[in-house]
Amino acid sequence: MFRLALKSVKHSPKRLILTAFAVALGVSLVAATQVFTNSLSSGFSDLFEDIYAGSDVIVEEAPDADEDEGDPFAAAEGILSSDDVDAIGAVEGVEIAAGGLQVAGAVLGPDYAESAGGDPFANAGPPSQIVNWYGDPRVDQATVIDGRGVESDGEVVLDVDSAPTLGYEIGDDVAIATETGVSLFELVGTVRFGDENNLQGATLAYVSDADAHTLADDPNYSSAAVIAAEGEDLDRLAGRIGDVIPEGTRAITGEDKAAEQTEQLDDVLQYVDIFAIAFGLIALFVGAYIIVNTFRIIVTQRTREFGLMRAIGVTGSQIRRMILLEAVVIAFVASTLGIIMGYLLALGFAGLVTLFSGDIFGTLTLPLDAVLWSYALGTAVTMIAAIMPAIHASRIAPMEALRESATSGKKPLKVRNIVGSAMFLVGAGVISIGLFGDFERPYIYVGAGAVTLVIGATLLSAQILSPLAGAMRPVLSRWFRVDGKLAANNIQREPRRSSNTAAALMIGVMLLALVATFTESLKTVVTEEFASTQADVFATSSQGAMPPGAIDAIEGVDGVELTSSIGFSQAQYDDMAYSVAVLEPETASEVFEYQSEPSVDELGPGQTYIDANIQDLGVEVGEEITLTSPEGDVTLEVAGTLSREGEGNFWVDFATGEDLFGEVPIVQTMVVFDDSIVADDADNPDGATTVSEQTEAVQAVLTDDYPLVILAQPGQLEQLANTFIDLLLGVISALLGSALVIALLGVANTLLLSVTERTREIGLLRAVGLKRSSVWRMITVESMVMAIFGTVLGMILGVALGSALVLSLADFGFDGVTIPWIWLAFYTIAAAVAGVLAAIWPAWRASRLNILAAIAADG
Amino acid sequence: MTTTEVPALAATMRDGFKDYGTGEAAVRALDGINVDIARSEFTAIMGPSGSGKSTLLHTLAGLDGLSAGSSTIADTTITSLSEAQITEVRRKYIGFVFQSFNLIPSLNARENITLPLDISGTKVDPEWFDNIIGILGLGERLTHLPAELSGGQQQRVAVARALVARPEIIFADEPSGNLDSKSGSELLAFMQSAVKDFGQTIVMVTHDPTAAAYADRILFLEDGQIVDEMREPTADRVLDRMKQMGH
Ligand SMILES: Nc1ncnc2c1ncn2[C@@H]1O[C@H](COP(=O)(O)OP(=O)(O)OP(=O)(O)O)[C@@H](O)[C@H]1O
Ligand SMILES: [Mg+2]
Repeated sequence: MFRLALKSVKHSPKRLILTAFAVALGVSLVAATQVFTNSLSSGFSDLFEDIYAGSDVIVEEAPDADEDEGDPFAAAEGILSSDDVDAIGAVEGVEIAAGGLQVAGAVLGPDYAESAGGDPFANAGPPSQIVNWYGDPRVDQATVIDGRGVESDGEVVLDVDSAPTLGYEIGDDVAIATETGVSLFELVGTVRFGDENNLQGATLAYVSDADAHTLADDPNYSSAAVIAAEGEDLDRLAGRIGDVIPEGTRAITGEDKAAEQTEQLDDVLQYVDIFAIAFGLIALFVGAYIIVNTFRIIVTQRTREFGLMRAIGVTGSQIRRMILLEAVVIAFVASTLGIIMGYLLALGFAGLVTLFSGDIFGTLTLPLDAVLWSYALGTAVTMIAAIMPAIHASRIAPMEALRESATSGKKPLKVRNIVGSAMFLVGAGVISIGLFGDFERPYIYVGAGAVTLVIGATLLSAQILSPLAGAMRPVLSRWFRVDGKLAANNIQREPRRSSNTAAALMIGVMLLALVATFTESLKTVVTEEFASTQADVFATSSQGAMPPGAIDAIEGVDGVELTSSIGFSQAQYDDMAYSVAVLEPETASEVFEYQSEPSVDELGPGQTYIDANIQDLGVEVGEEITLTSPEGDVTLEVAGTLSREGEGNFWVDFATGEDLFGEVPIVQTMVVFDDSIVADDADNPDGATTVSEQTEAVQAVLTDDYPLVILAQPGQLEQLANTFIDLLLGVISALLGSALVIALLGVANTLLLSVTERTREIGLLRAVGLKRSSVWRMITVESMVMAIFGTVLGMILGVALGSALVLSLADFGFDGVTIPWIWLAFYTIAAAVAGVLAAIWPAWRASRLNILAAIAADG
Repeated sequence: MTTTEVPALAATMRDGFKDYGTGEAAVRALDGINVDIARSEFTAIMGPSGSGKSTLLHTLAGLDGLSAGSSTIADTTITSLSEAQITEVRRKYIGFVFQSFNLIPSLNARENITLPLDISGTKVDPEWFDNIIGILGLGERLTHLPAELSGGQQQRVAVARALVARPEIIFADEPSGNLDSKSGSELLAFMQSAVKDFGQTIVMVTHDPTAAAYADRILFLEDGQIVDEMREPTADRVLDRMKQMGH
């Protein structure tokens, strides 16, 4: 039986090429992702080894000491005094205990002063690590390459790659920016970090111990590195150190720390994997439609052969097994091909990334996981897709062998329609529940409903396509005469086949349209957001929070009317973490129209406004509530409601914010210029200062002391946000591209197989005088109709589902759907072009058929 | 009238050779054929199996090329034409009836009949169309798909299709080969009347002496050569001739 299956594959390899390729493409995405993340993980775990494995034991803040993980702006505060470090040094078995301190700041290029003015984002380059120099290579993890190490205050050492990249030579003054200003240090040497200076693109700078404390504005150390005496048992040493260090810190061996970090990174990479594999699965799902189609057509074409086999005594189950065996062979070949393609894809992509952001990869290896997953997925998809056609084949009666025509005629679409309608309705129902029911996380319902609805729609599309092709017949006949009429007939003749083909495309386009609807609506939200502000300029810091001094500096500039800052942090209420927004009630309403009751101006100290989520918990205006924060418990009066979804659950003023958090990390300062002095860029009465000029004036004041502060006008920010959204759309479209390529292969495959099936018919048409070009056109029209049908259906579904998704996300600030007309037009045109392209091979084959051979062919 | 009227020729072949394969497997299917097909004549080609009848029909019709020699259709030499030009000639001047699988399965009887006109974008002459349909008795079947027609009806539709564009010449390869004797003789009688009443030119390949007897003229083929010709044949005379040839 296996030999028979193999022979059958070998006998007609062509019809299986595209099928195998469809499976291979999906598999390759899965394999590529795994190779990629695997090597990324190994690249970073090398880095972690370099960083941590050098120290025998590390003393650092205990991870569970303070649950303020939600606050990304909290700088690692010094937790070890120099006495603590001395105490660690005194522990038995410790050779060296070195306090470590990391400074939040950035190493700037030599021409930072000029570059800051034009592009507001120029200083937001790759991150910098600024740390204190100890002087022992085991602690510093650094080998001096040129010059020497840091010996006295005012000196700096850079890593070998960054010095030339930034444009510094030994003897130059290096500018280091921190919250408190720019300081200059003399470059005295360059070092190689670890074995390969593998820094994942970051800049590494060492300054003296005293300078580090000054820059960080902190007398303490944030960690300590311990070098053990010869032959010491590290785990036990860590235990002994643990006894002398202050509460809230821990001692961990370097090896464990590196492993812990790698593990954490792997957790993150796992999400990357899941994200990318999701697209691989979409591609395979689309591929499955093509496999179903291929097998269905092959079975139809071999009806006589199977009938004959049955007549000579082969059982139905043997035939079924034979077809499934064929599927296994294809799956194996395709998965292997897919793994190879995936590896090459990862190689190419890694090369591309390396080109732009340095060498961040370990060696690209093909993990066993990836191989197993690829084979498993490839085989599963192929087998599942082959089951229905195989069962169909096993039911072929011996009598069929004697029939003149191989096409088994028109079986009604009843079962298909019933199942399709049921799924469609259930899907639509679940989506409505998500949209209109009052559930938590409505998007889960919308998502699950969408999948069901889509499968239902692909089943139902046969019912739509058939009459549609019938209805289009006169139009196509008018436009393309007989070629058009025949094309319409061919589509109508095999509604299942045509609609499966279109369905593959439909799914791809649907996802594209969905994403486009989503991102386009997101853009509208962004635009409205920025349109609703009266602020002329937004100030943020590229590293951490806005320094308060900078705000004072901005307010001091002529022409600045007022500033209004906003900060965010987290506090516990009822044992759950909630976000707290801190604003300046006096000025807040000058920059945004807050939807609050009463007005934000009236928010006073000791009061809070709450959002809808908190109201849902049953908290009412007038009540007293207690928030728990690092600074302790603070009881507040609920004085009003403020709905700005997704920003803050609680809103307080700065006085209250300081009670809660000490210093409030300011995320953004909105600056309003004096209208009487500063004119709009657009209408500029002669000689008046424009917003841009005024912005430059403010920037000039900041450049020296606060180089990390970025000023951006709302328009610039909007543009930046839109660029990111477009990038998101681009990345997702590219990933979906593989599904679309597969879908097009499907169109080509179906046409190719049906050309084979219609060999005699085409021969006859040629004999009675149909020109080659007409044959070509017939196939092309057929292809285009299927492609456009799939695309239009996909767009309708995609926009509908995208709208549903957007509406379900109303909680996140979406207040309306924007339909991406331009994209839709583009997709339609692309579909027509794709239809033409997909038809090339089949049409070429059809138009080249030898007439006599075609007529004589057994059909 | 002083000039003798030369009967117009619908198709001709001069020194036609057709070889298949090379070396050991080489077969000479046509071996120096010279033939003239007169207008408004019903010509039958007979001969033993493998004698080259189908090959002769196909090369005359431009479905296949000659290895050497030339042939014409309606005074156009087709042997020197390009593929596209030959397709044009076929569309304009030639009708076909094959032994089986004559019809496009997705088109109904009427659409199959008008197919050649649809391809060239010419209008159907309704009178002529009704005439053909009436004689062939297809009136009730026009909206049926080929799969819903009997073998005889299918062949009649094929003949109607060949006739509808009033081609210069119709080629038929054993058109009655798959039919019972009654349907076969009906079909042949109709073809005969198309020649007599409408002046249609028909060339038909057949094995059957009774079928051949409907023709005006019979060409006998053997080993790729025309070995004999018979005018005003009867079934008995054809049978006798066939016996001579060793059948
Ligand atoms: N495509 C081909 N390739 C090779 N040889 C061929 C081909 N077509 C025909 N022949 C050979 O040419 C010769 C003539 O064939 P042809 O089909 O014309 O015979 P025929 O008289 O029509 O026979 P039949 O009565 O059986 O239909 C035969 O020997 C046949 O084997
Ligand atoms: Mg023959």
